[in-house]
Amino acid sequence: MRTRHSMDKASPRLNRYFDVNGWLFVAPAVLLIAVFMVYPILYSLWMSFQTGRGMKMHFDLTANILRLFSDPMLGLALYNTMIFFIVQVPVMLILALLLATMLDDKRVRFRGLIRTAIFLPCVSSLVAYSVLFKSMFVQDGLVNTTLLDLGLISSPIPWMTDPFWSRVLIIIAITWRWTGYNMIFYLAALQNIDKSIHEAARIDGVPAYGRFFFLTVPMLKPVILFTTVTSTIGTLQLFDEVRNIMTSDAGGAAGPSNSALTLSVYIYNLTFKFMPNFGYAATVSYVIVIAVALLSLLQFYALRERT
Amino acid sequence: MKKAILPRALAAIALGSASLFAMTAAQAKEITIWCWDPNFNVAIMKEAGAIYAKTHPDVTFNVVDFAKADVEAKLQTGLVSGVTDSLPDIVLIEDYGAQKYLQSFPGSFEPMTGTVDYSKFAPYKVALATVEGETYSMPFDSGVTGLYYRKDYIEAAGFTPADMQNLTWDRYIEIGKTVLEKTGHHMLGLDPNDAGMIRIMMQSGGEWYFTEDGDLNISGNAALKAALETEAKILQSGIAKPAAGWSNWVGTFTSGDVASVITGVWITGTVKATLDQENKWGVAPIPTLDIPGAVAASNLGGSSWYVLSSSDVKSEAVDFLNEIYGKDVDFYQKILTGQGAVGSLMEARNGPAYAVADPFFGGEKIWQNFADWLAMVPSLNYGIFTNEVDAAVASQLPPLGKGGSVDDALAAIEAQARSAIQ
Amino acid sequence: MDLYFQRLRGGLVYLFLITAAFLSIFPFLWMVLGATNTSADISRGKFGLGGALFDNIVSFLAFADVPLILWNSLKIALLTTLFTLAVASIAGYGFEIFRSRLRDRLYRVLLLTLMIPFAALMIPLFIMMGKLHLINTHWAVILPSIGSAFIIFYFRQSTKAFPLELRDAARVDGLKEWQIFLLIYVPVMRSTYAAAFVIVFMTAWNNYLWPLIVLQSNDTKTITLVVSSIASAYYPDYGAVMVSAILATLPTLIVFFLMQRQFVQGMLGSVK
Repeated sequence: MRTRHSMDKASPRLNRYFDVNGWLFVAPAVLLIAVFMVYPILYSLWMSFQTGRGMKMHFDLTANILRLFSDPMLGLALYNTMIFFIVQVPVMLILALLLATMLDDKRVRFRGLIRTAIFLPCVSSLVAYSVLFKSMFVQDGLVNTTLLDLGLISSPIPWMTDPFWSRVLIIIAITWRWTGYNMIFYLAALQNIDKSIHEAARIDGVPAYGRFFFLTVPMLKPVILFTTVTSTIGTLQLFDEVRNIMTSDAGGAAGPSNSALTLSVYIYNLTFKFMPNFGYAATVSYVIVIAVALLSLLQFYALRERT
Repeated sequence: MKKAILPRALAAIALGSASLFAMTAAQAKEITIWCWDPNFNVAIMKEAGAIYAKTHPDVTFNVVDFAKADVEAKLQTGLVSGVTDSLPDIVLIEDYGAQKYLQSFPGSFEPMTGTVDYSKFAPYKVALATVEGETYSMPFDSGVTGLYYRKDYIEAAGFTPADMQNLTWDRYIEIGKTVLEKTGHHMLGLDPNDAGMIRIMMQSGGEWYFTEDGDLNISGNAALKAALETEAKILQSGIAKPAAGWSNWVGTFTSGDVASVITGVWITGTVKATLDQENKWGVAPIPTLDIPGAVAASNLGGSSWYVLSSSDVKSEAVDFLNEIYGKDVDFYQKILTGQGAVGSLMEARNGPAYAVADPFFGGEKIWQNFADWLAMVPSLNYGIFTNEVDAAVASQLPPLGKGGSVDDALAAIEAQARSAIQ
Repeated sequence: MDLYFQRLRGGLVYLFLITAAFLSIFPFLWMVLGATNTSADISRGKFGLGGALFDNIVSFLAFADVPLILWNSLKIALLTTLFTLAVASIAGYGFEIFRSRLRDRLYRVLLLTLMIPFAALMIPLFIMMGKLHLINTHWAVILPSIGSAFIIFYFRQSTKAFPLELRDAARVDGLKEWQIFLLIYVPVMRSTYAAAFVIVFMTAWNNYLWPLIVLQSNDTKTITLVVSSIASAYYPDYGAVMVSAILATLPTLIVFFLMQRQFVQGMLGSVK
């Protein structure tokens, strides 16, 4: 690690000068976040101890917390969210890592073109891509007819009407949109790795998969940690895709049998769709906070530097 | 000299613009309205505004359209946060949600009991917007239901339009099986995420998720049980083509795929938009449930207009609604012909548009039929938790389709609903 | 033998990459083809060029004041991006260059705010905007997005690659700290800014839930809201929906292609 404080220890006066500058530099951001994030967070924390309907709210320390434990919908939302997390995040990150490693090879032609193509989905408009996916995956839409024509399936897949397949569809949709985004992070990190070590390993006869697991992956650890944590946050807050692909305007369910009901969708329903009970909605949102915090901690622990 | 002129000129400009502002404030009364569906509610509201503006040139209208779920989210945000100047002057609310808003946000909506003559409207529309003797809505479109069917398909399967009248659900399923066998067309499109069909059947049986007093009514609800049994039979018989979401469901009949549609009258415009299917459709009453007291008429959806108490032009807004929606029979003829909207003002059905024989439906007087069925719709208390219980019902539909027991489904709905309505 | 395997592997790599690229682009292709087809053809899953492009454009234009809507979206996205970049880069620089234990703790608190689901903050934010009389203004959309912990994090990480010798030399020359930031840091970190520009612009342009709640009238709406409104009509005109989807996607595509080179370079710096 380089020393970053070469001049900072010069004198108390200079120290104060740097400290004042430090505060001045971070002040605008800290103020904005305090006003538009921290204050609302504290407000909703206070709200989570309020219970009632609409405008008729009253303070109750434990009502919402007790309700958490007898709420089958919350259990389902937690279960669905965890399924998405456990299946989707690893699939997406492994796919992104594989693609990045392949595209890092200078011998591959049209690398720039392929890289751009794979990155494009995350540039697309969320609402637009939801509409597109909906129209492609309907019962006799493009995807099913193509699969039928190719002889890969014998009857149309009920993408949006069967609980299992609707979860698969959501996973496909998120993976489509975010794999390229994560790939770019890996690609950037790979290009910073010193190629001579790889070369040396290759000459020593270490096979490609060995180099990948014992050289590339360890060196990418910080980026893997970063993408894992951001993907965890993204998946646990999963909302837009489910709302725009799975929720029909007429019905109340998020996917068949609520198979795609995530925690964020449930919070949205509690706040805006059901009897307005913002207090309980706020309590449920702290379930997400705790889940994210625990998982991030776990990931930091698993990928910690062992030196 | 020059120095003295400038402030005076500034003062004159300031005064001038101030009085200009005052004048515009006094003159232009803008009524802001939130609603959904550009082809239906929005178009109708613009029409109503244009008619009213002819006699009231000082009133202008600003009709803002959002998706239905978005209107609800925005209304709920404005009400919960108490930021009333974010709210519109008039808002469209679906009938199922009316009691929820009226009861949990007391004082937020303007009662119109003193102005509007509610005896002229379909009684069930008035009852659902009444709390403690005050009625808050301008009843708007009705969701009276009908059975739309493809004459050509059922005739190809050996039936006649007469066979489609006075059906029971069992007979309907039987016909459906024959149609599927002989023509390859499914009898109906059905979205397994949507409890709409259950609500149609349950209301035709005269019951709802709640009793008149607002208590949860699930385990002892004969109409709900019969509805779930029927839906299970439909799903298991294979006569339904699964649809995912609203637009996909609409596609099942606009594409000419299915032989019938059971839904609210507001779908008529969509059915008629498929010009290549002219003369191929007929409309019959919906099948009846096999329980005592069930009728061949029900309701799905439908909505009404509400004036916000926080509005600074609420007297104008109430007057506008009363003048057009409360009295203007010609207006109702116009929106029936233009958008296929069946209003709930009873005298409107004596107007000329309702008597027209519709060439699209082979000359049937479908509007007159719908108006007659409208009077038969059982009046119910939709309660304040319809969305919650609906979500519970919808999540039990796929297991039912796979042969699950109706009693188990009822128990699960009861448990989930109990926890959701705290 | 070895050569044979190498070729086979090379072939598989290409197959994999091309499949991935094709699947990534395919929905865009479907969107463009869809815009030329009638509503009925689209729901039937027709994959091919149609002749309804002009009709679809006309019916989309009838839905909304399209130039105004695009201008609204562009205004919000550009202002959000410029303010976010300014605030976040200054803060990222500040946290990394002027280290102190207290500020590091504060930094960790800032990162924690990323974990809160936005749905939980909407009601308090809405009340706040009501008190500030900002409901139905574009500022209500822009202000809460400026303080982005994620972008601050990104700038702090990238600052680790900023050569400190430059700063030290400038200090010796007597430059003030803000001068060092403006005259040295900003030009040196051009590509970091470019990458952040792409990411923030994309997020701001596609923002859906909060604008939906806080924007109230037809003349303040953004293109994303218009797409969702058209797509959820009782009888949606898919042709018009496809045209609107193209318009909603095009600007972010343009921004990305204009900045692609700097974007990749900027990302390189962020993950060192």
